[in-house]
Amino acid sequence: MPLLAHASCGPRMPESCAVVTTGLTKRFGHRVAVDSLDLAIPEGSISGFVGPNGAGKTTTIRMLLGLMRPTAGSGTVLGYPLSQYKSYLAKVGALIEGPTFHPALSGWDNLAVLARLGGIASARIAEVLDRVGLGDRGHDPTRTYSLGMRQRLGIAAAMLPDPALLVLDEPTNGLDPHGIAEIRAMLRSFADEGRTVFVSSHLLTEIQQVCEHLVVIEGGHLVFQGSVAQLLASRAPELAVRTESPDDVDRLVALVRRHGHAATVSGRGAEATVTVSASCGWAGELNRLAMAEGMTLVHIAERHSTLEEAFFEITGSCTEESRERRTQAVHTETSDPPKVEEHTR
Amino acid sequence: MIFRPFKSEWIKLRRRRLWYGSYGAIAGVVVMTTVVRIAGATHRVGSSGNLTLTQLARAGGLAQGVTGSTILLGAVSLSIAAAQFGGEFAHGTLRNLLVREPRRARLIVGNGLAILSFIVGAVAAATVVDIGAAFVMAHARGVTTAAWTSGTGMGDLGIAVGDMAIAVCGFAIVGMILGILLKSSVIAIATGLAVLLPVETIFTDAVPETARWLPGHLLEAVAQGGTSVAGFAAALVTVSAYLAGAVAVTLLVFARRDVTS
Repeated sequence: MPLLAHASCGPRMPESCAVVTTGLTKRFGHRVAVDSLDLAIPEGSISGFVGPNGAGKTTTIRMLLGLMRPTAGSGTVLGYPLSQYKSYLAKVGALIEGPTFHPALSGWDNLAVLARLGGIASARIAEVLDRVGLGDRGHDPTRTYSLGMRQRLGIAAAMLPDPALLVLDEPTNGLDPHGIAEIRAMLRSFADEGRTVFVSSHLLTEIQQVCEHLVVIEGGHLVFQGSVAQLLASRAPELAVRTESPDDVDRLVALVRRHGHAATVSGRGAEATVTVSASCGWAGELNRLAMAEGMTLVHIAERHSTLEEAFFEITGSCTEESRERRTQAVHTETSDPPKVEEHTR
Repeated sequence: MIFRPFKSEWIKLRRRRLWYGSYGAIAGVVVMTTVVRIAGATHRVGSSGNLTLTQLARAGGLAQGVTGSTILLGAVSLSIAAAQFGGEFAHGTLRNLLVREPRRARLIVGNGLAILSFIVGAVAAATVVDIGAAFVMAHARGVTTAAWTSGTGMGDLGIAVGDMAIAVCGFAIVGMILGILLKSSVIAIATGLAVLLPVETIFTDAVPETARWLPGHLLEAVAQGGTSVAGFAAALVTVSAYLAGAVAVTLLVFARRDVTS
C-alpha cells in the first residue's frame, strides 16, 4: 500500500538538517522494527516524533545514538555519518525511554557521573540543575524525587554537554498538566537558543502546541514528515453546523447529501451538530439553501482538525482514498509544495 | 581517557551504604577468620587440622586471617563487581553512560579498574583491622608475636595480602564478566557463586585432578601462594589466561551488542 510523505527539511525551514536518514532499517530476527526510514529533521527546529506503541520510535532513537546497530540504511547526525556516532555524541543530549538514575545517589552525583564520563566541567552541573528548577534539591537522593523531578533531572542530564541536538524520548510521561507546561516551555527555550530538539511523545496536544515539524511512523514505516501545519491542512475541510430546531437536523443532513457533501451528526437534541465535509466557502450557499427550505441555522463554523484526529487518520482508520485526498490537499493548499516521496508499506 | 570512566565509577562506589557494606563485609570476614583460627588453635598437633599455637607464633602467623578467608572474600568481591555492572542494566543507566562515553571498551575497562581499586582498598583496610584483631587474640591466647613484627613477618604478611588482592581481583573480574553478559545483578551473582562454589566442588570431589584447571580453585591457590594441587605460578598463569580470554570475549560481545535495557 503506497503512502506519500514529505521528506525534506521543508520550504520554510533552514536548508540544513540536524538528522538525516536514508533507508534506516532495524530487524530483530524476522521482525522488522524500523523499515527503510527516511528522516530529515530541520536544524534549529522542535521536531515531534509520534507513532503508536511499538511503532519503532525508541528503536530509531537508539540507532541515532549508537546504542543499536542499524541492519541497513545510512544517515547523518550533525553532519557526521551514523557509523561515526562517537564523533557526534559529544554534541548530543539524550533522554531515552524515561529518566533512569542510581536511586541512592543524589541528583548532583548522578549528573557528576555523566559529567566526569563526558569530560564536562563540574560547574555545568549546577547550571543545568538550576535550569530545570532542581537547584535546591540537587543534593537529595533521586529515590526521593517525584516523577516530575526525575523527568526534569533527565532533561538536565541531556543538557549537560550543552548539546546542539537534544533527543528526548517521552519527556512528559506521567507528568501533571503543570509539569507538562513546564517541559513545553523548556523545550521552546532550548529551540530559541538554536538547538535542535527531537522529541517523541504520546501527548499529541503537546506536540501540536510546541512542535513546528513532525515525523509520524507506524509499524516502523514513515507515514508523514513535514510541518504540523501541512499535516493539518491536508485534512479535508469541515463545517460544524447547528440548527435552531433540533427537528431540522435530519432534514439538514438530507439537504447536504443531496448537494454532494458528506454529513454526520454528533450530539443530541439542542446539542446536535452536523459536521459537513465542505470548505468554509460553501457556508454561505448552505445557509441560503437551508433558509429556502425553512430551516434556521444558528451556528456555522469552520472546524479545525486537531493533530490527534490527523494522527488517527494517517495511522489508523484512514483509507487509501483519504490518504490520496490528503496528499492532494498538501499540493493544492500550500504555496510552496513540498517534495513528495513514495514509500511502500 | 580511561581515567574518565574510572573517576566516574568512583562517584558511584563512594556512596556510604556500599562503602560501609563492602568494607565492613570484607573486614568482618577477615577478622572472623583470624578470631576463629587463633581461638581454635591447639597446644599440639591434633586430628582437628587446626593450627597450633606454635605455628601461629611463627612469622607467617599474622597472615592467617587473610589467607584463610579466600572463598568468602572471593564471594564478596564477585558479588560487588557483578552488582555494579549488572545494576547498570537493571537501573537502565547503561544507556546514559554510553551516550556520554560511546567507546564501550574504554567504559568497561575504566569502570572495571575502579571496581578493582575499590576491592583492593577493601582488602587493605581489612588487613589493617585484622592486624589489630590478631594482636588482641594473640594476647588473649598467650601467643608470642615477636616474629610477626619482624622483617620476615611483615614480608610474609605483605606477600599474603598481595596474593589475596590478586585473587579477589580475579573473583571480581569473574563477577564483572557475568554482570555484563547476563545483564542482571541477581542472576550474575547466583551463577558466579553457584559455579565457583558447589559446581566446582562437585567436580573436584569426583575428579580431584580437575582442581588445577577450575578457575575458583586456581584463584584459591593464588590467594594461598600455591597449594599441593596447583603451584602459585602455574595457578596464576592458567587463571590469568582464562580471565584474559573471558575479558576479550566479553569486550567483543559488549561492543557489538545492541543496548536495549
